[in-house]
Amino acid sequence: MTIHLRVWRQSGPDSPGFLEDHTVTEANEHMSFLELLDVLNEQLIRDGREPVEFDSDCREGICGSCGLMVAGIAHGPQKRTAVCQLHMRSFNSGDTITVEPFRARAFPIVRDLVVDRSAFDRIIAAGGFVSVTTGGAPDANAVLISKADADRAMDYAACIGCGACVAACPNGSASLFTAAKIAHLDFLPQGQVESAHRALAMVDRMTDEGFGNCSNHAECEAVCPKGISIAGIARMRRLYLMGPLTAKAQ
Amino acid sequence: MTQSNGAAGQPRLEAKIPDGHLQDKWDNYKDAVALVNPANKRKHTILVVGSGLAGGSAAATLAGLGYNVKCFCIQDSARRAHSIAAQGGINAAKNYPNDGDTIWRLFYDTVKGGDYRARESNVYRLSQLSANIIDQAVAQGVPFAREYGGMLANRSFGGALVSRTFYARGQTGQQLLLGTYQALSHQIAAGRVAMLPRREMLDLVVVDGHARGIVTRDLVTGTIERYAGDAVLLCTGGYGNAYYLSTNAKNSNVTAAWRCYKRGAFFANPCYTQIHPTCIPVAGSYQSKLTLMSESLRNDGRVWVPKDPADQRAPDQIPEADRDYYLERRYPSFGNLVPRDVASRAAKKECDDGRGVGETRLAVYLDFADAIDRLGKQAIGERYGNLFEMYERITGENPYRTPMRIYPAVHYTMGGLWVDYELQSTVPGLFVLGEANFSDHGANRLGASALMQGLADGYFVVPYTVGAYLNRHDRADSVSADNPAFAEVQGAATRRIERLINSDGDKTPTQFHRQLGIILWNHVGMSRTRAGLTHAIAAIGELKEEFWSRVRVPGTAATFNKNLEFAGRIADFIELGDLMARDALRREESCGGHFREEFQTAEGEALRNDDAYMDVAAWEYGDPTPHLHLEPLTFESVQPSTRSYK
Amino acid sequence: MSLFAALNSPVGRKALTGVTGIGLVLFVIAHMAGNLSYLFGSDAYNLYAHKLMSLGALFYGIEVLLAICFLLHAYLGIVITIRNRRARPQGYKKYRSAGRPSRLTASSRTMIMTGVIILIFLVLHLKSFKFGTYYTVEINGVEMRDLYRLMEEKFQDPLYAFGYPMVMILLGLHLRHGVWSAFQSLTLTSRKLSAALYPLGLILGIGVAIGFIVVPLYIYF
Repeated sequence: MTIHLRVWRQSGPDSPGFLEDHTVTEANEHMSFLELLDVLNEQLIRDGREPVEFDSDCREGICGSCGLMVAGIAHGPQKRTAVCQLHMRSFNSGDTITVEPFRARAFPIVRDLVVDRSAFDRIIAAGGFVSVTTGGAPDANAVLISKADADRAMDYAACIGCGACVAACPNGSASLFTAAKIAHLDFLPQGQVESAHRALAMVDRMTDEGFGNCSNHAECEAVCPKGISIAGIARMRRLYLMGPLTAKAQ
Repeated sequence: MTQSNGAAGQPRLEAKIPDGHLQDKWDNYKDAVALVNPANKRKHTILVVGSGLAGGSAAATLAGLGYNVKCFCIQDSARRAHSIAAQGGINAAKNYPNDGDTIWRLFYDTVKGGDYRARESNVYRLSQLSANIIDQAVAQGVPFAREYGGMLANRSFGGALVSRTFYARGQTGQQLLLGTYQALSHQIAAGRVAMLPRREMLDLVVVDGHARGIVTRDLVTGTIERYAGDAVLLCTGGYGNAYYLSTNAKNSNVTAAWRCYKRGAFFANPCYTQIHPTCIPVAGSYQSKLTLMSESLRNDGRVWVPKDPADQRAPDQIPEADRDYYLERRYPSFGNLVPRDVASRAAKKECDDGRGVGETRLAVYLDFADAIDRLGKQAIGERYGNLFEMYERITGENPYRTPMRIYPAVHYTMGGLWVDYELQSTVPGLFVLGEANFSDHGANRLGASALMQGLADGYFVVPYTVGAYLNRHDRADSVSADNPAFAEVQGAATRRIERLINSDGDKTPTQFHRQLGIILWNHVGMSRTRAGLTHAIAAIGELKEEFWSRVRVPGTAATFNKNLEFAGRIADFIELGDLMARDALRREESCGGHFREEFQTAEGEALRNDDAYMDVAAWEYGDPTPHLHLEPLTFESVQPSTRSYK
Repeated sequence: MSLFAALNSPVGRKALTGVTGIGLVLFVIAHMAGNLSYLFGSDAYNLYAHKLMSLGALFYGIEVLLAICFLLHAYLGIVITIRNRRARPQGYKKYRSAGRPSRLTASSRTMIMTGVIILIFLVLHLKSFKFGTYYTVEINGVEMRDLYRLMEEKFQDPLYAFGYPMVMILLGLHLRHGVWSAFQSLTLTSRKLSAALYPLGLILGIGVAIGFIVVPLYIYF
């Protein structure tokens, strides 16, 4: 396969960026998209040019490190697939593919396709946890949890924090990410104790980080590698709006 | 090579195992351990390197106790540590299913699974703590799988005869890691942990014989930084990426551990590497990493190859009579559930005999047709749906219809920095947790035990033992990063980076990594020989020389530069490869993940030599060759036997 | 945190947009029904209008409420959009929707544009009709405003006859996303109900557009 790439290059957060054209002739359908970029980079280094920087780690769709806009879609055209597991069989030889970083004010560009998603960590630190310290936990079976609730909690807990929801959202909103954690913990008795306070703190943090509003485009759900539902956003909103009424003085 | 016995005249290899009966050792230790005054804890700074299950849990727990913690990770967020990729589950001796599990049985299975090359006392403590981990995780909101009645679900895993494995779909590692990450976030919010992401530890600072700090590189700006502390916890994972192709994440590396080794920490059993039997086979030379398919698949999948090497039919065209379910045939009692090392070698043997399947002939079938007939497609989908999807995404084949093709791949490293019962290395003040240490899995790790060990070390062991260390050594004289030792180490790290960036070669770092990987996979892989290992040592020596003269690192050192990071790590992997080969050469027996072709039974099974090699090989850095120290292993509570899964 | 702060947050603003939006949708449906009474002749239409206006205080109360809904809805829409634009200062060179289950449509992406056009339209609309020429007519001995005549007159003008339907199509487009979005913003957590409600926006959007277009075209032709 021959693949033409239009790749975003940007040397630093404040430098201007541009699309650069490259062609990889040694592509093959079993290759992942990131392996295609690896091949491109080997080519560039041998030609004495600077390789394209991008983040990736586990390359099996679970760590959430990778994240690129491929052909205009966060993580590329294949559903429920992080870009590290997007294989070239999704494309045809001769295709021209545009590759851009995840863009949002809250995700400043570090270099080329690498962005800074630390805003997500700060949203979690605002309340995306159960306030327990190590030790003294009761027996794991002391509190029964229905299978349905455990399964729904897991549906939301599956979030890998990649930021595709923000990237795909026309508003650059982090609602799906934030809601996933709020909903995960709200479905479990261990997390429910702090649900109202958590929703208030995390949503306010999200706002302060400069993410946009949710306009219910649901584009986030469509690009989420884990298929997390926007029903979580509705749950987050309910907890948030009910928060002033239900949250105990913290 | 010089040798010395740790027990005689080498206090540095004192394992410090507490007195008493095996069951009482940890309690005895805790009873006797000196506690740090709560008011003094915040005066102590602990540097935790790594934010995976071991590092994250240690940092969160120590901060919760009141210590001042700085936690470093190489990824852009603590949540992305490679623990996240563990799929199958975590063991705990809870005996919820009432099927006869006990702490003793988990301990025994782990020691036996490790082929009697682990330290009894550590493994027993691990089994004792296993139940607490589950309690802790549930309290954090980890959504483990549940039964309809609301109780936690368990499954049997990796050759265990009891169901003691807790799981969260096929994402157990992810959920446990997010539990620790959230606990860590809780402490970050409370201001007790300073989290420093995108930092790579480049060296250890030793002052007056004690670990007192680290030197790191800020991976965004390239700044070489120094941090001082009262103890350093190394939680940096394993070194499987030495083989280039492994199931490890791209950033997993040995550099931090290797730098500690060069500063005096002994490296134990580097030859013990685990080759996982159920991975997706290599597709081409561009392959960047391998993908594991959870071992849980072997609970319902049957492994087979065609009986006739010339049989080129599609799998569904091959009738039962022409298939060889070789694991069921060779190991009637455990069948498809034999431990990882046994299953991997068996697959290699079939492929070596020419019966491999697929384009490359380096694969065997893992077939779910019988299970789908028996339980229905839906039940199989519920158990393995996400794994089947992942397989299909990667290979383009649907495992509900066509058997999976699997082949072994490097997955985990049992070896690591030598630690005593307190998880302290031979450098006082340097503690090593999780996969980075050598202690609990012997020569082979059982499935669902890695998560258990990382969390036991971080949540429940090191919080006690670090306190003991701080008590033993008055840290009122806190060293600051202005100490000349820091400047010296920082200078050395800077010079090394400059040497890499200024080398004007013609080969990319990845080219060297691939070359190293091929040498290690062929000669220090699933089966090893004296001749192969000797060859490997020579070849690695040449590779090392070539690396420093021909490597080309693009860009500058003052920016985000992935290739510069990789180059530094590959240089360390090359040196480690040499040590792995030396260790494998020295161990003239077969045990667990270390299989020497010269030492096998008539049926091709591993042949241990307990008289000569019932020990831990701990290597001390030396130039040009390392020095060997031995810690003899004594088994007081279990009787080493030949592992048989027939 | 106070209730006011919660309502003034992005989540609260969105919920208020939903509440006011639903109120406005109800108004639009009632208005459309009134318009359609035009088809039953001048008496029917003028009597209907007269009845409404003779509700007195209640009528003015509803008008004030509607005005508040409209102004708040418009204000929130503009404020939300400004914030959203700021959240992505640099746009993509290439961007497209990933498809289902995305609800990203021409309708959802143009809410602010359709909204602003409707806002401008409303001002003109009020000027033309509510505050337009005051013709009178006597029906059954009662003197009342002859809105029927005003309508007839205005929609003879092609600008009105075609401009009005154009805006009504945009209104339909606005409702197509807006109706379902309002329920989402008002915390509809059921995935099934959400999927079931989604077509309601489309049906209402088309229905309202057609309902408003019929009369002007009927008059013109």
